[in-house]
Amino acid sequence: MNTLRTGLAAFLLFLTGTHTAQAAAIFLGGYPNQLILFDEGSGTINQKVDLATGLPVSLQLSNDKKSLYVTTITTSGIEVFDLATKKITNSFSLNTPSTKYRFNGGVVDATGRYFYTVATRIDKQIDRYKIGKPQYVVVDLTQKKIVRSVDVDAEDSTFGYRSSFMLSEDGKTLYVFKDKILVLGTDDLKVVERLDLAKPDLSGMENVRFGGGVESMRSKREYVSLFNAADPYIHNKVFGIARLDLATRQFNFTPIGPAPESMAGLQITPDGKEGYTVVTQGKFGNKRCEFWRFDLTNNKVLAKQEFACRSRFEFGMSADGRKLYIYGASYNVEVFDAKTLKLEKDWDLGNDATMAGMVVVR
Amino acid sequence: MKHLRPVNRKAQRIEESIVAAQPSTEEDVVALQQAPRPHVPMGCSLSFSPGWEVDGGGGTAGLCQPAERDIYDCYVTCFWPVQVPDHVNYSPDWASNCAVAAKDWRNLDLVFP
Repeated sequence: MNTLRTGLAAFLLFLTGTHTAQAAAIFLGGYPNQLILFDEGSGTINQKVDLATGLPVSLQLSNDKKSLYVTTITTSGIEVFDLATKKITNSFSLNTPSTKYRFNGGVVDATGRYFYTVATRIDKQIDRYKIGKPQYVVVDLTQKKIVRSVDVDAEDSTFGYRSSFMLSEDGKTLYVFKDKILVLGTDDLKVVERLDLAKPDLSGMENVRFGGGVESMRSKREYVSLFNAADPYIHNKVFGIARLDLATRQFNFTPIGPAPESMAGLQITPDGKEGYTVVTQGKFGNKRCEFWRFDLTNNKVLAKQEFACRSRFEFGMSADGRKLYIYGASYNVEVFDAKTLKLEKDWDLGNDATMAGMVVVR
Repeated sequence: MKHLRPVNRKAQRIEESIVAAQPSTEEDVVALQQAPRPHVPMGCSLSFSPGWEVDGGGGTAGLCQPAERDIYDCYVTCFWPVQVPDHVNYSPDWASNCAVAAKDWRNLDLVFP
């Protein structure tokens, strides 16, 4: 009898241990108005959430990894998805019949109440649409409206549709990443400093630009990405890995080699030792895509592997850093092994993925 | 076309004072290609790149394969203002019956402006 009880207890403990080690969840935006929850371990769809405010265009995970903030384009809305209850806890639109706002992405503060982004206001007047200047706006997620707005300085007004935003740990500084890094105080939304990458003081290079695609940031203090740079004399373009300390604003750039035609940003493994990117050479019929694996400790390229790529795609990585994902511009996700850089399988999402990107949560 | 570029700080100050002295055209009706930059109607593209029939290089190799893979993203970003509806201002429910364009494109509605 005791043996039976012991065996049963061990079996139950085994089951508990098995269920405790849950696979990571992947969140993607899906057409026409859905948030897709995908189980990374089984490669199946867990849940599809209909978004009342429309088509998702950006996904932002909160710092405490408890909420996912989704911005939509149909009605310029913001929806908050609670990862524990798997439900939408807040949903509202900024548009009114006579006023629309255009914004993409943003960042939420540590309290989860204020959402920072850059938006353009469009007012429908009696005879025309009046398009306002880009503004830094603060959206109060409790009041469900914009509570503060400050015009973007004229010298910074060349905003691309997709700028990246980060908040400092204390919530007092907002970083906006475009062709240069804007450092703003959150109290008055005024630019405190501009890290002009066209003229970096440290590297002696000019025309330093962010690598394209999604940059990775594994530490709240450090921003790591691929950068392109050119020397000021021959203008020979090189690429390398750059690290920006958000607290001290120290910029460290290490060149690696000649700059390829384009790179899909940098994905970093959880241990921070290796990084991956997709390099594209050539155009149209001559286009070739390669995975490049980096040793981030020594800033060297370890391996390269060509693969058949789509005309347009996005690049992601699994939570454990063992798989690489090629998705976007279609309904499937191609899964590659990070060590061999070979195609393993194909996941069918059942929806075309939007350009909201991918958020992986363990 | 602007042929002069300030090289030193004094020249830069002169250029800034000239720009500041120019009257603001914010409320004026301007041509779309007028300086300081083209005024692109909000949310809609004036370009046909990559285009529906051909890519930016005049061929078809750069198009998404199949072309239906590109429908939705171009619809949302208004990149094909003629071939697909303008989601930014009109037709927000055009794709409501079709989640995967490459598979279910037959369920898409025809939109007549």
